[in-house]
Amino acid sequence: MESKRPVAIEHSQRLEQSQREAAVQPAQPRDAALNGHGQHPMDAERFHEASELILGSINRVIDGKADAAKLALTVLLAQGHLLLEDVPGVGKTLLAKTLARTVDCTVSRIQFTPDLLPSDVTGVSIYNQSSRQFEFRPGAVFANIVIGDEINRASAKTQSALLECMEEHQVTVDGKSYQLGLPFMVVATQNPIEMEGTYPLPEAQRDRFMARISMGYPDKDAEIQMLETHQSSSPLVKVTPVVTANDVAAMIAMVQQVYVSTAIKEYTVAIGRATRDSANLRLGASPRSLLQLLRAAKATAALDGRDFVLPDDVLDVAESVLAHRIILERKAASSGDTPQSILHSILTSVPVAKEPAGAWARERRAG
Amino acid sequence: MSAGQEHRIRPNPGGDGASPDSPTADPTAGSPTSGSLTREPRTAGAGPYPWLMAGSIAVAVLGSSLSLNGVFRGWAWLLPLITTVTVAALSLAALRSLRARPLLATAGSLGMLAAILSFIFCRQESLLGFIPTPATLAAVGKLMQRAAETVVSETAPVPPNAGIVFVMCACLGLLVILMDALAVPLSMPAVSGLGLLAVMVVPATVKPQSVGVAGFLGAGIGYLLILGTSQWFAHDPRLQSGSTRGSSQFKRSMVAGGLALGLALVVPLAIPGFDSGTFPQGSRLSPWGTANGLNPMITLGNSLRSPTGAGRITYATSSGSAEYLRSVTIDSFDGETWSPDDRAGQRRPGTDKIDAGYTLQGPTVPAVTSIDAGQFTSPYLPAPFAPASVNGLSGSWTWDPATLSIMSTDSSTRGQRYVVFSASPKITAQALALANAAPRGISNDFLRIPANLPDIVRKTANTVTASAGNNYDKALAIQKYLRSSEFTYSLQAPVQNGYDGNGLSVLADFLTVKSGYCVHFSSAMAVMARVEGIPSRVAVGYAPGHPTGQSVALVGQGSFPEYEVDARDAHAWPELYFEGLGWVPFEPTPSRGVVPDYATDPTVPGSITSNTDEKNSAATPEAPAPTATPTAGASAAVAGPAEVSTLPVISVGAAGFLLLVAFLCSPRLARTAQRRRRLAVRPPARAGTPPPGYRDPAPGLAWAELQDLATDYGMPSAPSETPRHFSARLRASAALGQAGGIDDAAHVAVASLTSDFERDRYGQPAGRGGVPPAATPAAPRIAVVRESLRSNARWSVRFRAEWVPPSLMHRWSRGLGAPLRSLRTAGNSAGWALTRSWRKLGRLLPERR
Repeated sequence: MESKRPVAIEHSQRLEQSQREAAVQPAQPRDAALNGHGQHPMDAERFHEASELILGSINRVIDGKADAAKLALTVLLAQGHLLLEDVPGVGKTLLAKTLARTVDCTVSRIQFTPDLLPSDVTGVSIYNQSSRQFEFRPGAVFANIVIGDEINRASAKTQSALLECMEEHQVTVDGKSYQLGLPFMVVATQNPIEMEGTYPLPEAQRDRFMARISMGYPDKDAEIQMLETHQSSSPLVKVTPVVTANDVAAMIAMVQQVYVSTAIKEYTVAIGRATRDSANLRLGASPRSLLQLLRAAKATAALDGRDFVLPDDVLDVAESVLAHRIILERKAASSGDTPQSILHSILTSVPVAKEPAGAWARERRAG
Repeated sequence: MSAGQEHRIRPNPGGDGASPDSPTADPTAGSPTSGSLTREPRTAGAGPYPWLMAGSIAVAVLGSSLSLNGVFRGWAWLLPLITTVTVAALSLAALRSLRARPLLATAGSLGMLAAILSFIFCRQESLLGFIPTPATLAAVGKLMQRAAETVVSETAPVPPNAGIVFVMCACLGLLVILMDALAVPLSMPAVSGLGLLAVMVVPATVKPQSVGVAGFLGAGIGYLLILGTSQWFAHDPRLQSGSTRGSSQFKRSMVAGGLALGLALVVPLAIPGFDSGTFPQGSRLSPWGTANGLNPMITLGNSLRSPTGAGRITYATSSGSAEYLRSVTIDSFDGETWSPDDRAGQRRPGTDKIDAGYTLQGPTVPAVTSIDAGQFTSPYLPAPFAPASVNGLSGSWTWDPATLSIMSTDSSTRGQRYVVFSASPKITAQALALANAAPRGISNDFLRIPANLPDIVRKTANTVTASAGNNYDKALAIQKYLRSSEFTYSLQAPVQNGYDGNGLSVLADFLTVKSGYCVHFSSAMAVMARVEGIPSRVAVGYAPGHPTGQSVALVGQGSFPEYEVDARDAHAWPELYFEGLGWVPFEPTPSRGVVPDYATDPTVPGSITSNTDEKNSAATPEAPAPTATPTAGASAAVAGPAEVSTLPVISVGAAGFLLLVAFLCSPRLARTAQRRRRLAVRPPARAGTPPPGYRDPAPGLAWAELQDLATDYGMPSAPSETPRHFSARLRASAALGQAGGIDDAAHVAVASLTSDFERDRYGQPAGRGGVPPAATPAAPRIAVVRESLRSNARWSVRFRAEWVPPSLMHRWSRGLGAPLRSLRTAGNSAGWALTRSWRKLGRLLPERR
């Protein structure tokens, strides 16, 4: 595993030097990059086609994890960051790398270790003797997709270096800000915190990940399939990019145009308030988490072929988006509840709409 | 998932709100037709529909009220009724055409009804003549009391006094409003026919001619008008038939209607038991009957025809033979109907001493009769002639010196046990033959002959009595004529020939057809006797009964056999006045009653007794022996000759039945109305762009209906369930059947309803770049789903879903609990407020150390 150097920057095969430089340059104004207005949305057919291509490509490599693959794509399209958490050896890194390779864009990979420094992540200014100037050498974070492997093995200081990048899509070194490209997505993997030699991610950092996925073990057939196909060569070799970074940017723009009705906003807020009011939770869902929940729901709706969000979309992603942010009360934790189980009970109790009153009023208006 | 596939993402090239076809400024620039069409439901006039519908309802109510002739005497009641109904209908039409809210229209017309009723009936007591005041209410109370008295004490046809007419006008005015509410806002014009049925139940139950041809035709025409108006003019598209289907639909309905009418006419003829009596036994339409109305004499006919004896009375008498029991007399033969004359002013209270008021020559025969009226209910007391005193009655009773009828002012005969001391003059043929003096001591009313007496009566009387010398001979001749073989006793002939009533025209018919029963024989004899100058009247009561085999002990008289009579013994007989002998009963009815000795024709002995009904032959004079306690009346039904409480009892029963039916049907009706109201909302099918922010209510309502349907069939949706999840659960359940099978259409319908609702609720509103909603009506899809749910449910579930729909029951129980809940909330907050102020008060107090 020579690839697990402290800092390993990998680029997809098609990456050309010029492209790399373009990615490094703070070419776009920050807000425009965030909102995706620089891109024209793609039409529905192409969106569907592209998403099918990406998912098909991932599913060919990772057997029996279609849900995880779809959620990963959802997070990509919703401009979020993904946290893959599970025991070693279930394909976390493989999923991240496959997703990265499927999209024809810049990819870098950071292997987090306790001695990794923040400047390894963000970049460093070096004095160029010939030009007699300080020159910024971008770190691993300057890529479209950043794979942070075993992120909870790094020190807190290094972990927090990722914070600004993830939330604000920019890097500030020596008082100067550098814009990151679009799409930008951090896919971090981590082992469960019970494992040895790990620093648990602080709440603030966890909150910056849009979703957390537990891969889980593959089922029997998928595992047999995996044993057969993965014996001879790495499945990653066969992965070729199916869409370009521009395509992804267009898809993101399209997702942003998905309509969110007032009813959905109310529903989302109701879920958030229910987590805050729950007696079993010490920390409920933050406003940011609700924003990300809605973004993820928009991406889900778009992947489902709709131009508006349904409560089902919210429900589909709610557990992945919220479960890693909420903190259980001691009593609930000791009685065997998990964040997932508590979230599940909350989601099954929040009414989807104030139906009786609304229906009555509607009927009267109609009558 | 299939639902989701239907709406792919549509790109929105123009961005939010800036789409070129956004109709922000369209109403002026766009085509005028589309602009007006989209706004039509609120602004355009309602057209002729409200007026036509109100007119149809008025016609229907007035038409069916024609059948009330005969329940009321004359036609004086019709004008106030027409005024009331017209005003109510006009106010409804005006309010509806002004597009007032349904509830407001109903309330407004109620107000107009109150005003017109005040104007007609309580003008003096009302402000400006029509605004009800407390004084009006008092007057209405008086009117109601009068109506109640009429209903209790009078027999149909009742005189149209202000009280009863007020009640009728108010009821029918309310009926107009009710029918309008059913037909217009609730969109159930067919059900509004129930109101007409309620009107016609009254004549159908109390008139032997049932509804009558006029009432039937009027109600039928009005009902058809209502249906036609709703079919052709309604704004509601569901009620409107497509113009292309019009003719075939008309043909079909003609065939169906013809079949129904034919069956209704033929089936009663084929079913045995439908040929006797009126409402319960033989409720049939006899449109050929004359609407002469009825009175005790007619109910007498009904009693005679009733297959079971109701109103059983038992009595024992010391007179030696079974007595005629007399309860009321008919003495006024004027006009179209004959009825007892109450002579309210002349009645005297108390039954201790009853005096006929005329002098009797010769001996009298005293008798003591103990009577148990049992369940027989009437204000008139059955008593043998001529009562001298009555003991043992409860309540206050009065007696009429002219007719000796004993009537209660505040109670009835029901459950009464009493002893009548009577004294009848000993009448012999010789005495009668001598009694030719001009009548004195009685009113000339008993001699009055109606001016419009049919010629046949006078002619017959003169022919029959041509050879008779004195009054007695004349009486005998008339009796002999009526008992001759020319006349037959028949309960059915008058009904079949349409003269089952009384009045002069009936008399003429009877004398032509020569078939009838006691009413006809006795009235014929009474009128003919008057023609011949003999004072006469008709007594109504019971023919002598038959022994029960038991004995009753009479105080101080020993033990006597007990007799019983019931409705089948109801009888009427003429009484003729002979100076010095008083009122003398005769028996012109063949095969009924017992012909007194004096009335047997001395020239043809035996010819009369041979006619005596075999039923009464047992009531022989030598029946001796005494005794015992009277038995309680056996049957609970109330019917009797002079009985007047049939009308209220039947109407109360009918009203109760209708109420019960309405109560049992109300969940179903309410649910149906709810469904129709929801599905009545049309998606905007017309061309033209909807205004910005417009949201079509149809998908939401259809969805609510789908949810309620599922609830009814045991698949309620949880509040936390998303539409898609609910839809998937419904389709996966057994309630909707297998997809791909015969229920596939239902699955498709549920999926499309779901996607419509999702798009409506969560999609972009039209006009903001959203997809315009698909213009498919939800009603057929809901119908498919409902049919599938029905066919897959067990019968018990189906029954519950249709008659006690859980969705509605839940809503109702919530509605009923709402006041309690708000009370609890108010109580809680009051408690908190109290606690807070108490604490505040505590803080204000100086701290104790």
